[in-house]
Amino acid sequence: MPSPGIYLRVLPWGEMLPQAAAGWLAAGWTATQPLDLSEWLVIVPTRQAGRRLRESLAWWADQKGQAVFPPRVVAPDGLTSLLLPPVRGDYPEATRAEQALAWIEALQELEWERFPDVFPLAPPTRSFSWARGLAARLMLLQTTLAESGLRMAEVAHVAGGRSEVFPEEARWRQLGELEQAVDRRLAARQRQAPQAALAAGASAEAVLPSGIRRVAVMATPDLAPFATRLLQSLSTRVPVEIVVFAPEAAAETAASLFDPWGRPRPETWVARPLDWPDFAERVQLCADATMQAARMVDRVRLYPRPEGHIALGIADPDVLGALEPALKRAGITSYNPAGRARRRDGLYALLNALAGFARGADWEATTTLLRCPDVLAWLETEGRAESGAEFSAVTLLEQIDALESDHLPPDLAAAQHCASAQRPDGEYRRPRDAALAALRSLEGLRKRLVAGSFPENATDVLQTLFAARSIETDSEWFASAAAWTETAREVGRALEAFDGAARTLGDAWEFALAQFGERTCFDRKRDGALELNGWIELLWEDAPHLVVAGLNEKQVPETIVGDAFLPEKLRERIGLRTNAQRFARDAYLLEALAAPRAGSRGRLELLVGKVSADGEPQRPSRLLLRCRDAELPGRIERLFDEIRAPQASLPWTRAWRLTPPPPVWTPRLSVTAFRDWLACPFRFRLRRVHRMRPVALDKAELDAPGFGNLVHLALRALGEPDCRDCTDPRRLADALLARFETAVRSLHGDRLTLPLLVQFESARQRLRAAAEQQAEQRRQGWVIDKIEHDIALKIDRISVTGSVDRIERNEHDGRVRVIDYKTSDKGDSPRSTHLRRLGKEDDWREPWQRVPDGSSELIWKDLQLPLYRRALLADYGAAITCAYFTLPKAVGETAIMEWPELTGDLQAAADRCADGVVEAILAGRFSPVVEQSADWDDYAELFHRGAAASLQDEGGASA
Amino acid sequence: MRTVVNTAILASAGSGKTFALTNRVVALLALGAPPERIVALTFTRKAAGEFFDEILKKLAHAAASPKEAEKLADAIGQTGLGPADFLCLLRRVVDAMPRLNLGTLDSFFARIVRSFPLELGLGGDLEILHEHAAQRERRRVLRSLFTAAGEPDEAQREFIEAFKRATFGLEEKGLADRLETYLNDYAGIYLAAPQVDVWGNPGRIWPAGFGPLQATLSLADALTALRRQVDGTASLRDGQRTRLETVIADATDWRPGAPLSRPLNDLLEKVVAQLEELRAGRGQITIDRVRFSPDPAFAAALVAFAEAMIGAEFKRRLETTKGLFALLRTYEQRYHEAVRRNGRMTFADVERLLRPDAGGPLLESGLSAAESDAGERRLAIDWRLDAQFDHWLLDEFQDTSHGQWTVLRNLIDEVVQDPEGARSFFYVGDVKQAIYAWREGDSRLFREILQHYNQTNPAAIVEQELNASWRSGPAVIAAVNRVFSDHGALSQVMSGGAVTTWSQEWRTHTSARPSLKGVVEWRLAEDQEGRFAETLRILQETDALGRGLSVAVLVEKNDTGSALADYLRRQGGLPAVAESDLTVCTDNPFTSVLLAMLRAAAHPGDTLAWGHVCMTPLGAVLAEQGVTTPETLTRRLLREIHAHGFAATLEHWIEALAARLDPADAFSRLRGRQLVEAARDFDELASRDVVEFLQYAARYKVRDADTAAVVRVLTIHKAKGLGFDLVILPDLEGGFGARRASLAVKKAPDRSVSWILEVPNKVFADRDPVLTQYKEEADAQSAYEALCKLYVAMTRAKRAMYLVTEPVADGSQSRSFPRLLRETLGEGYTEGDACWYEALRPEPSAIPSDLVVKVEAPPAPARLPARTPSGTERSVLNGAQVFALSATAGAEWGTAVHALLAEIAWRRPGDGVVASELWAQADAAVRAEAQACLEASALEQVFARPSEGVGESELWRERAFEVVLDGHWITGICDRVVIVREPGGVARRAWVWDFKTDRVGDRAGAVRAAERYAEQLRLYRRVVAKLTGLAEKDVHCGLVFTRIREWVPVG
Ligand code: SF4
Repeated sequence: MPSPGIYLRVLPWGEMLPQAAAGWLAAGWTATQPLDLSEWLVIVPTRQAGRRLRESLAWWADQKGQAVFPPRVVAPDGLTSLLLPPVRGDYPEATRAEQALAWIEALQELEWERFPDVFPLAPPTRSFSWARGLAARLMLLQTTLAESGLRMAEVAHVAGGRSEVFPEEARWRQLGELEQAVDRRLAARQRQAPQAALAAGASAEAVLPSGIRRVAVMATPDLAPFATRLLQSLSTRVPVEIVVFAPEAAAETAASLFDPWGRPRPETWVARPLDWPDFAERVQLCADATMQAARMVDRVRLYPRPEGHIALGIADPDVLGALEPALKRAGITSYNPAGRARRRDGLYALLNALAGFARGADWEATTTLLRCPDVLAWLETEGRAESGAEFSAVTLLEQIDALESDHLPPDLAAAQHCASAQRPDGEYRRPRDAALAALRSLEGLRKRLVAGSFPENATDVLQTLFAARSIETDSEWFASAAAWTETAREVGRALEAFDGAARTLGDAWEFALAQFGERTCFDRKRDGALELNGWIELLWEDAPHLVVAGLNEKQVPETIVGDAFLPEKLRERIGLRTNAQRFARDAYLLEALAAPRAGSRGRLELLVGKVSADGEPQRPSRLLLRCRDAELPGRIERLFDEIRAPQASLPWTRAWRLTPPPPVWTPRLSVTAFRDWLACPFRFRLRRVHRMRPVALDKAELDAPGFGNLVHLALRALGEPDCRDCTDPRRLADALLARFETAVRSLHGDRLTLPLLVQFESARQRLRAAAEQQAEQRRQGWVIDKIEHDIALKIDRISVTGSVDRIERNEHDGRVRVIDYKTSDKGDSPRSTHLRRLGKEDDWREPWQRVPDGSSELIWKDLQLPLYRRALLADYGAAITCAYFTLPKAVGETAIMEWPELTGDLQAAADRCADGVVEAILAGRFSPVVEQSADWDDYAELFHRGAAASLQDEGGASA
Repeated sequence: MRTVVNTAILASAGSGKTFALTNRVVALLALGAPPERIVALTFTRKAAGEFFDEILKKLAHAAASPKEAEKLADAIGQTGLGPADFLCLLRRVVDAMPRLNLGTLDSFFARIVRSFPLELGLGGDLEILHEHAAQRERRRVLRSLFTAAGEPDEAQREFIEAFKRATFGLEEKGLADRLETYLNDYAGIYLAAPQVDVWGNPGRIWPAGFGPLQATLSLADALTALRRQVDGTASLRDGQRTRLETVIADATDWRPGAPLSRPLNDLLEKVVAQLEELRAGRGQITIDRVRFSPDPAFAAALVAFAEAMIGAEFKRRLETTKGLFALLRTYEQRYHEAVRRNGRMTFADVERLLRPDAGGPLLESGLSAAESDAGERRLAIDWRLDAQFDHWLLDEFQDTSHGQWTVLRNLIDEVVQDPEGARSFFYVGDVKQAIYAWREGDSRLFREILQHYNQTNPAAIVEQELNASWRSGPAVIAAVNRVFSDHGALSQVMSGGAVTTWSQEWRTHTSARPSLKGVVEWRLAEDQEGRFAETLRILQETDALGRGLSVAVLVEKNDTGSALADYLRRQGGLPAVAESDLTVCTDNPFTSVLLAMLRAAAHPGDTLAWGHVCMTPLGAVLAEQGVTTPETLTRRLLREIHAHGFAATLEHWIEALAARLDPADAFSRLRGRQLVEAARDFDELASRDVVEFLQYAARYKVRDADTAAVVRVLTIHKAKGLGFDLVILPDLEGGFGARRASLAVKKAPDRSVSWILEVPNKVFADRDPVLTQYKEEADAQSAYEALCKLYVAMTRAKRAMYLVTEPVADGSQSRSFPRLLRETLGEGYTEGDACWYEALRPEPSAIPSDLVVKVEAPPAPARLPARTPSGTERSVLNGAQVFALSATAGAEWGTAVHALLAEIAWRRPGDGVVASELWAQADAAVRAEAQACLEASALEQVFARPSEGVGESELWRERAFEVVLDGHWITGICDRVVIVREPGGVARRAWVWDFKTDRVGDRAGAVRAAERYAEQLRLYRRVVAKLTGLAEKDVHCGLVFTRIREWVPVG
């Protein structure tokens, strides 16, 4: 029961709260001097409310041409440190980082069998992450209990010391033991938990801060028990005035509405009907967040300079997602006073990348770091310092991508090896200089990152990265960096004390990053920006027109159900804030928002959502259903009505058609290019003329060409003198595999990722099968004549080039055969890869692309083998035949697949087709664009609802 | 409270399932059940939402009107209740809202897990993984498995070994793809049966033994023997011999698991068909179109050949099945440790976690555990959940999976067996609408549960049937009766088992709305295009939208739906919406090019991405802002993304690009907004990884808004539970054909998995009675499900239904829907009134208009732009300074020095050590610096009491102020202000001292630094002038540099 020094005062709610509060504090001021309130201690519900109050005071004094010495304004959570200074001889309070590490250490070393009611099952792998997560959870629990000034050990006592059963007594006793174990760990480092200080202080006297002679609690409807205890203690020395914002009425009424601490009494407010004659106008049902946002934007637009005229309240944070962009699009600047977590800072992303890199220089961590703009900027200055050469981010990243796609290195070290290695055949080499230089720089960076201890090594690296940078101290970036430095410092100290908790550098990083990421940052508010305040802040809002979105259950009133530690029944028993109290508070708030805006003084609009942004049905706040019986059915009808989004989904429209650049190039063709043109002339243009090619992202293993390339490299061994005449499959296999291993080592180094291990195993099996086949072929008399034989062919004015895998001659009958190796999984025959049946979509195919086949027609898909044959006819004569040497995944099907029909007429048809293609290309004909299934189309992203339809006509495609 | 009867309701389509369910809730309430003790669960969030709204409205109507009250009271069998009673119930429900348990099964399970994380062995709070997040976790686990470089560790070696076994004989070159397929297809099966002995275990598959597995000869030997017979048998014709030689050659090349060549397959089939005869030394087989009767030795060789082939194939399948298991286990174990046990779970994981066999021991109660124990546990549950569950209502029961049921069973058992009958169980469903078997929906449960409970106590659960449709008019019902009651016709298209099951459940339907006018027509069209055209024609003929009717077109697949909706919009100008998930970030040119821009920036080697950008107006937009080359793009975008995240970056470019759109193109603008929404969601993850964002965007889906007055095109699955005035079914070409899964999963009657086997090639599988039986069961099941789907499709219409199919050839034996229609309805079928729509007119709509009212009241008085003098402070630092760790740098140092100096009132050099607790406890270096300041003679003026005044000197230390100056609200704190007053108290002059702890080296440095602070000090001057009433010229300002103990005046 409060003592006589505590007084309940009423601020009538006919006026806006901030002005009423300022007026109340200024009562009796003569305006001849500054308004001096420095002997006041004023408690307001939140930081933001304090700001409103000081702003109002400044304005109030300014009306009389004066200024203000403000009162000491604090929110309830600041009361402990203000009124309970540390007792001499106590250990200092542990920082958050120290507390967390004490918990983490305790949890990691936990003998969980001793806590069977807390951990009935063995906890999972007790990693640092696990301990950190659980520590955070348990610290939150400590904080909640501190509302009542309780510690875990006391819960069992307080909750169990009654007549009703307390089913979780054992669990709480064990939690209490756990907490004490943590306290002991803190004490061993000469620290104490802040809750311990608080609990100890519960019995101690509050200390009146110097100069304070009066205390007021201003419109703070949910003062926690520990705060009331402190104020009670103060009230013996100074008057403590509890000021409620309430209907103008006699004090007895106030006492029936509020308890002596100014908190709305549940028994009164739960039953108090919300009598609003204009209910229907005030409360509006909206389909979803988008509709609520649109409605808010409409309202704001009524006012040319909205700030001060209209205010927006957000009871359901879900709405912000739609509202912020909507306001932005409407050209209205807004400001979220709740701030945002530092996790969203750019610096966090960099730190996160560094953390990953510190954990291990695997390839993903390496490239993630490399793509950080700050790292690129550093590499640029590094490079310039070293070679003075021009730095190009594009060149670097291109090379990095190429390196990845060619070698799939597992980590930084392997990547450096690959970047500097020679290709085994000594053939063309894509430049890697920029990549290599960057990787080496990163290697150096990493050495420093893992040297010494955290956070010194991290600081060293950051100082290196930003050495050449000038940073303005009023920038947001600086604030972010300063926050990090502060975190690092605090974490550093804590890690030193708790050296056993974070066992690895990765743990330390994880810990520091989590601490940093949780920090809130408040961007600077731009002048005139519209604040988007949360529900709790709205009481102190003073714009006459107030629109509140998201007045839905779960948000307002805030309700907690099924908490893993503190169910409602337990909260009631140990004096924590209950759902009923929250209900009363929110019911009160709702009326307090409406009252000063009644009639012509203003307007309150409440928006209720039907479906949340992620599709969850929502219910209107039951605060809105507090009404007289007769009205209830009507309100239900209204608030639970069906409602649909106003905007029908829009018909699909095409924003534009693509305009390809003009096809300017010097035609040069490889034999494989023909396949591209035959498949689709337009895509041929993109690929071969404009050289537009996608990069496969997120590759885990070699693609088909990469795999084929490696197998080809090995198969070259067959051309060596020892193999040429060999008919022993085993020896052949040895030769192939030896060559294969060399190729693998030089391309990929000796540290391979698992998919590569599997792929190479597959390649080896296929090569073994190939060896058997080769032995058999040699037995049949086939002798290799040439391998990797370059051919050139002039068609019209174009030279066509290619490389034949091998040419062989049969020693018995002198037949000559052109062989192409195929490593595709299926092992298709040459005929089926070169020709296919004419389909419905092939009207555009010219006669020269077609080959009669009985009653129907075939068309050419590829001309590779016919072109080889055509090129070699002069040297080898018309008896030459073509074949595939297939190495499919079913190694049992490894075979030579001949194409005996490729002679005479068929060759002639192929020649005609090749000539036709060349002619078309020379004439610049790259149409039509063929409709292809998106699954197989490298260019699928360009096309929507038809490839042809996606292109501008002058693109050369048929419409 | 009165006893409540446990009830199971079999409710045919449209017969008022929701009505029955909501009535049940009202009845329970009326009997006095506290609302929070009623658990009502369904499958979709939407259904749950509607269900709740319905209850409230029902009560509200009854509370408002005596007539409605009477009706409702009758319906729940509690006559005599009046509006006042219902009002009271309504109030009770409203008050209990936050504690109600009306929702989805998923959320109910998640809630339990959330309340018991440690009890369930989880490491932290539960985090539900949705699609992207789950994918991300999977990728992370695979990466961790893949990239540990160097010598593979044991898990990796095991993994490779398992992979080789699983793909035995096939040298897969792609691990990732194959693995992805395996995980997609089989991870669920593994989780349902994680026991090794279930996978590829012949003892379980063929308990009595399976001949060919013990084949006496190896395949090679069998072939040698066969070749010998072929060579030695003169009676073979040439053609036959060649044929057999081909077969032998093919068989020599063949590896188990590979497809068979035609000749090999043919011969094998024939031999298998005659196996018994051949074994007996008899039998005839046709080779090369001529009969051949082998002698006993030849016959034996053929038999041995077939058995060896079969044996080899089966052995290999058993082996790969085991390999598959090993593979899945390695992956799953890793995933489980890394993801699930840390509390990150999909809804499916949540449910699995709660199953009694998996770890939900907590929920075991009632009969299974010892009584006292059970009581305690129950208490713990009630305590923790703030709830107690007395009444259970389960909706759409045919879709409940066995797993879900095992979780619930523990809680429901004791309810059903409650001797007092004060608690109850109610479930409702329609086993004719069981179309979710692929999602483990288990329609057999419906009857099993009934039998199970009624076995011991015949009246434990009362069964009810509802067969009168409140949805469909007589025409629709007549057609439905004709199609689905025709046992004979059904037998022609479905397997016998399926027909029997169906016929047992089938009851003749009636329409409860006999006067509802309507029609059913079956129309034919040649091909898909024709079916689309016919759909459009019907919509135009009837002008259903114009008449205010609800219209749906039901299709089989989402893709068809989008195509059809687009067709209707394009060809017919109709507002049609495909209600499928739209991949809004990639389905249109506008956002696609923005994604290409991101790709080009992060991966400049992707020349397609840059080319794509240049082919669109975005190229010009970028150029306008100075981005003309890949280099500028990369630098600019990576920086933007890094600093501001994807949403803000994209917003900027979208705004610029939208200016180039056709002003009428609202669609592309909408997509732009949706892309930003996707980006905002993604930014929550605090990732700046472009590739990850691109993957996220590609998967990001949005459901088209459910709006009024449109033609809704949706899949039959999604239409379940809905009704429309007019329904068109233009996509019924499918049928009852069997699905062929590559893994056979045989379940025992209790749903546990008995065995798993990779299915061999058909010719082998057909040979085996176990597999044959398995296949028959699977076929019957899928045929039954297909029929359910047709039933769902045909029961959506209220008034009119048009079936549009391609014609069925005369004498067709196809097992298709159109054939069934022909057998039952007959070609050209119509029923009802073809002009049903003519009299219908739209009702005038009463859409409440949104009143926008401006408030004329005066605005809030004080909303001044705020400034703090320190906010004008500004300096430039380098990286080394910004990140300096040492405590002597930066803000901490400054704060500490300030705090010490704030303790000083008046002092002169030589006054000695400051005696104060704060000073005593301060860091030595800090204290030294502060003390030095006090001792410095240059600073004497700062700390000593001024001697000039005759009156009093006033001192402010760290004094806060709030002032309005030039319309700005200035708020701040003065370090030290000395005011000299006249004897009368009037201020004469003032000194404003501001302490600076900057690391300046000498006076020159201090003077330079002072320039930076000048503006700040001038603001202090004005503030102090206003606070003291002095003229500004009488307020002097000095910057005190503590490091060099000097002060610099500011003019
Ligand atoms: S193998 Fe790799 S490093 Fe060697 S040349 Fe080829 S691309 Fe360059």
